[in-house]
Amino acid sequence: MHEMSIAADMMDQLLRIADEQHAVRIVEVEVICGEMQQVVPEALQLAFEAVTVDTPAAGATLKLSEERMVANCRSCGQRFEPAIDDFLCPHCSAADAELIAGQDIVLKSVVCEIEDEAAKT
Amino acid sequence: MKKINVVESVLKANDALANENRRRMDAAGVLAVNIMSAPGSGKTMLLEKTIPLLGPEQRCAVLVGDLQTTRDAERLGGCAAEITQINTGRGCHLSAPQVSAGLATLDLNDISFLFIENVGNMVCPAAHDLGEHLRAVLLSVPEGDDKVAKYPTLFQPADVILLTKVDLIGVVDFQFEKVYEDLSRINTRAPLIELSPKTGQGMDRWLAWLRQQRRGQTGS
Repeated sequence: MHEMSIAADMMDQLLRIADEQHAVRIVEVEVICGEMQQVVPEALQLAFEAVTVDTPAAGATLKLSEERMVANCRSCGQRFEPAIDDFLCPHCSAADAELIAGQDIVLKSVVCEIEDEAAKT
Repeated sequence: MKKINVVESVLKANDALANENRRRMDAAGVLAVNIMSAPGSGKTMLLEKTIPLLGPEQRCAVLVGDLQTTRDAERLGGCAAEITQINTGRGCHLSAPQVSAGLATLDLNDISFLFIENVGNMVCPAAHDLGEHLRAVLLSVPEGDDKVAKYPTLFQPADVILLTKVDLIGVVDFQFEKVYEDLSRINTRAPLIELSPKTGQGMDRWLAWLRQQRRGQTGS
């Protein structure tokens, strides 16, 4: 449901990167979604298409992958991989998980066409 | 073509401002509680009853998030607290920049508790740090006893879970055991408080929890 605000934040980053790199076009964007964010790929794709209209990222390919959750148990200190419907620590059976991975959304890489290249073609 | 490795959180701008919000409130000695639930779980009613019961020595302020209208702020206007309404328009959750703008309307040095009443929604608010110190999540009896299992991302990071409208037990079908069973897999850290702001049932436990958290913050 919050895919539109994620896409809007991504767009701010992409415009900044395009400016820094003197990119005239962004052709591919790679994003890693933490499992805890429960991002719906189809919804993020639609939102991405909507926010990139009339920008250098219009028509760019959005490559999405998911990162599994990793947690530290606050009760016993053990590290484990919870599931979205089961945060029980396998060592002490407490459901007191502090997530250390799988809760962020990360812009991993951007493929762009830069000014000089565009001039040559 | 050029590939640029970025590796930067998309939530970075929000999180940076959330941390700044927290620093501002820490400096002023404000305890901020982000209150989240579905629409109609009783967030506003909870605050209407909580603020007077905390007493005049605990100055309270509320940031109220809604897509439209100032109705919740008007309801809370009778409480001895500063109220700022934040209309998010089409936004389905509050964000750290909106809370930052809300904080600018308050005299933080004069506040003990800041309650942030998030937009009624069980998915999106959970993903956005606002700079709060604590997360209170409400589940009301009429919503049904299956919501913890259906919305684990809301309940897992909660610091306290309030089962509201317990006066409706018997009117609607609701099994406490299901909630406790689901929470046993999702979150055993947060206390579960059964309450009804309308009848006053359980409010003493909630107020005691709030005061305990406040003492923990001020070290007194």
